Amino acid sequence: MNVSIVPALKTLIPAAVVVVVVLLGVVVGYWANAAFYPGTSPEQPIAFSHKLHAGENQIPCMYCHTQARRSISAGVPSVSKCMGCHNEVATEQPQIRSLLSYWENKEPIPWIKVHDLPDFVHFTHKRHVLAGIECQTCHGPVETMERIRLTSVAPMKMGMCLNCHKQHEVEHGLDCWTCHK
Amino acid sequence: MPNIDRRDFLKLVGAGSAGVGAGFMLGESIKHPVEYLIPHVVAPEDFSTGIDTWYNTVCSMCSAGCGISVRTREGRAKKIEGNPLHPVNQGRLCARGQAGLQVLYNPDRLTHPLMQTGQRGSMSFTQITWEEGLDKVADRLDLLKAAQRGNRVCMLSQGIRGHLAQLFELFMDQLGSERLLHYDFDHPHTLYAANQRFFGEERLPYYDLKNTRFLLSFGADYLGNWISPVHHSLGFGHSRQGSGVRGQFVQIEPRMSLSGAAADEWIAAIPGTEGILALGLAHHIVSEGHYRGVDRDDWIAALSGYTKSQVAEQTGVSADTISRLADTFVHTEPSLAIGGGSAGNHSNSVDTLVAVNALNYLVGNLGKTGGLLFNPEPAGQVSSARQASYRTMIELGEDARQGNIEVLILNGTNPVFTLPSASGFSEALAEIPLIVSLSSFMDETTALADIILPSHTYLESWGDDFPEPGVGFSIGAISQPVVSPLYNTRATGDILLTLAQKIGLSEAMPWGNMQDYVKGGWRQIYERGSLDTRMESFESFWTAILKAGVWGEKMHRDPAFTLDKGVIDTIGVQAPEFSGSTDTYPFVLHPYLSTSLHDGQGANLPWMQELPDPMTSIVYGSWVELNPATAKQLTLKEGDLVDIESPHGKIRAPVYIYPAIMPGVIAMPIGQGHSEYGRYAKNRGANPIEILSPQIDQLTGALASSATRVKIVATGRRVELVKTGGNSRELGREIVQTTGGKASHSAKLNSIPITEIST
Repeated sequence: MNVSIVPALKTLIPAAVVVVVVLLGVVVGYWANAAFYPGTSPEQPIAFSHKLHAGENQIPCMYCHTQARRSISAGVPSVSKCMGCHNEVATEQPQIRSLLSYWENKEPIPWIKVHDLPDFVHFTHKRHVLAGIECQTCHGPVETMERIRLTSVAPMKMGMCLNCHKQHEVEHGLDCWTCHK
Repeated sequence: MPNIDRRDFLKLVGAGSAGVGAGFMLGESIKHPVEYLIPHVVAPEDFSTGIDTWYNTVCSMCSAGCGISVRTREGRAKKIEGNPLHPVNQGRLCARGQAGLQVLYNPDRLTHPLMQTGQRGSMSFTQITWEEGLDKVADRLDLLKAAQRGNRVCMLSQGIRGHLAQLFELFMDQLGSERLLHYDFDHPHTLYAANQRFFGEERLPYYDLKNTRFLLSFGADYLGNWISPVHHSLGFGHSRQGSGVRGQFVQIEPRMSLSGAAADEWIAAIPGTEGILALGLAHHIVSEGHYRGVDRDDWIAALSGYTKSQVAEQTGVSADTISRLADTFVHTEPSLAIGGGSAGNHSNSVDTLVAVNALNYLVGNLGKTGGLLFNPEPAGQVSSARQASYRTMIELGEDARQGNIEVLILNGTNPVFTLPSASGFSEALAEIPLIVSLSSFMDETTALADIILPSHTYLESWGDDFPEPGVGFSIGAISQPVVSPLYNTRATGDILLTLAQKIGLSEAMPWGNMQDYVKGGWRQIYERGSLDTRMESFESFWTAILKAGVWGEKMHRDPAFTLDKGVIDTIGVQAPEFSGSTDTYPFVLHPYLSTSLHDGQGANLPWMQELPDPMTSIVYGSWVELNPATAKQLTLKEGDLVDIESPHGKIRAPVYIYPAIMPGVIAMPIGQGHSEYGRYAKNRGANPIEILSPQIDQLTGALASSATRVKIVATGRRVELVKTGGNSRELGREIVQTTGGKASHSAKLNSIPITEIST
């Protein structure tokens, strides 16, 4: 006696179709999220272009991020620093008008952090800048970005730190407590 | 092609949408949470993100006046260290100084002006604005001033120096009031009076502990609490290890303090007889011919009643010890005798401390390196003359009862806690119509105030300080704010200046704020300096002092000293008087300032609460120290709760067995037992000041706080003492071994000779 499982499977087809549709939906939803609301490149309160400033106009990084060679943090320029140039430059641009309104209300610009390390990582800009590491090594080709984003070159993960430390044979560079202290 | 009907289609669309939604949320959930980078609008000049900035200022945690360097980051104070340039503490700092951060960040700080709306003491305070508060006070002051009754205003401050003290003087002067008092529990009134009598100046000399070879301390716990402990610790360290020859040091006190524990020899004289012992030494020195001054005969006459046998009988210190100490004191050069602490808190203390000065005089320690050096006139105000003694406070209370005080302004002092209940001071406060407090904390006295105008802490204010005692030459330091004010509080000086403006004193007090006033004062100090050595402009001088945190002038006093002959005739120490009969109250209560809490001011700092007491290792609480023999006699063990009763009240504390205290004396640390003063201080331990008898030193009116007799009543209850130490005995484990003096050549190791008492 032959017993076929086909009829039994046939009854499962509608359920399978639903599962497939749901999974497809998940993929689409995930993609839509990543494509339109990217965490690695969030929309900033002012559409500041590093491509324009650092790329085309060749302004050195440390002209604005003045603390990078002196402090653990690179420092975000104060609103007054922006106004230093934009009192004169491109004053009619809508983005600069937005900057002006921050300045006039004496409010800071709430930039969203893109290059972030967890709190349990001790990282100092000073050490790396003084060792001659290019900013782009960790931050990616910032001078080509309209909007700042995390790139696959520099994902800000532990592997990236270790590779570089290995490559440069950093003294104690692979010790846990070099970064986790 | 399967048939899809409308229903199935809608089901699939539903499933698909749910999938999309879930996918989107999945994407959202694995994202890094959004963090912001908030820049400055205008970057401040003096700090950069991630880099610390150190500011030099003055510590106000006690009256020593150490210089501190405060590490700040992103505008927040993070750590306090000693200022290495400051001659008083030379880069060192005590635990209390370190805990200054917990004054700044204390969760129980008063953050805005308050007004009492209910009964006094009901603690029903409502928030008011600064304008309301200041107006209420100014209106009352204005009325009194207009009616020529300014003298009905009393200002009661903690001990302050420098320009703030001067501002207080000016304010009260303009108001027409002489009632400007400073009150600190631990102010050494008797030491000032003794120096006034012996040296003819009411100023503390510089005790050169650093260079001395033999230090004889009569009751002065100079490493723990006495006058300037950080500076003294530095001196002690140098004297012991810094010069190749180990300085010797003997401590005479009824209960072994931190200094006693560091001494080569600890001698327990009967409480209050320290002066008699000093004169016994003096007698030995003079009669053995070690003193050859022209006034030798006067001394022989003055000291005739202090022969070794007489002194030995009165003090309980053997005649052999007396001659041994006296001989060492004479033959070790330079030597130094200091006196204070419990020896300064008896009914005969001025005489006692004069006797200590006499010892220094007889062996020629005055004006000598390693001895006692005279300080020059300080460059700024050091108002020890304003210090109110216990008697003055009683008089103030009496004035209040008679309705002569209409406004009382309190600044940082807490007399309700630091005066015995026998003084009736808190009851007297009830008779004062308006009490204003400028305190930063809700202490016991502030709780009775009608209006509270909270001040900045010292880390937020401008001021300056001229340390007393000086360091042998003239120094001063500016106190600058290291952080922006945390709350809606104001600097004490600014409050006073605003009040002055409101009552029409701006002509005499024209300064816009405390900073202007301090700066103006330092301009005068600058201009007083000689033209050759001073900096080219005042601004550079000012900046330089702010940066260094201290200013000094190498101006030493002439070391020459001639003793007024009349002084020798007054030499003599009466037997101490105690209150309470020996039958009913068999024990002498020895209250001592806690190393961490001091007179109670440090009790609201959790770091200080959890800092083990250096001698007993007890944290968070009060205890009473009993000699093992006393405990055995009363059949008490560690942790037994007892009532300590004086003729003026009783308090409850657990017993701690302490071998280094005389039988017949019991000791208690001061500092705990607050009923207010924030969550860390409140309802913890007991306050021994409360039960002290109103016994005073007749000359100065200072409270003889070591002259109360008490009895101990067991309650039958027990508590566990919270302490970090285990058993204080060595118990034959050979873990603490000492070599017994000269006999050590035999290489025989002895354990510390404490006899075990079987219980």
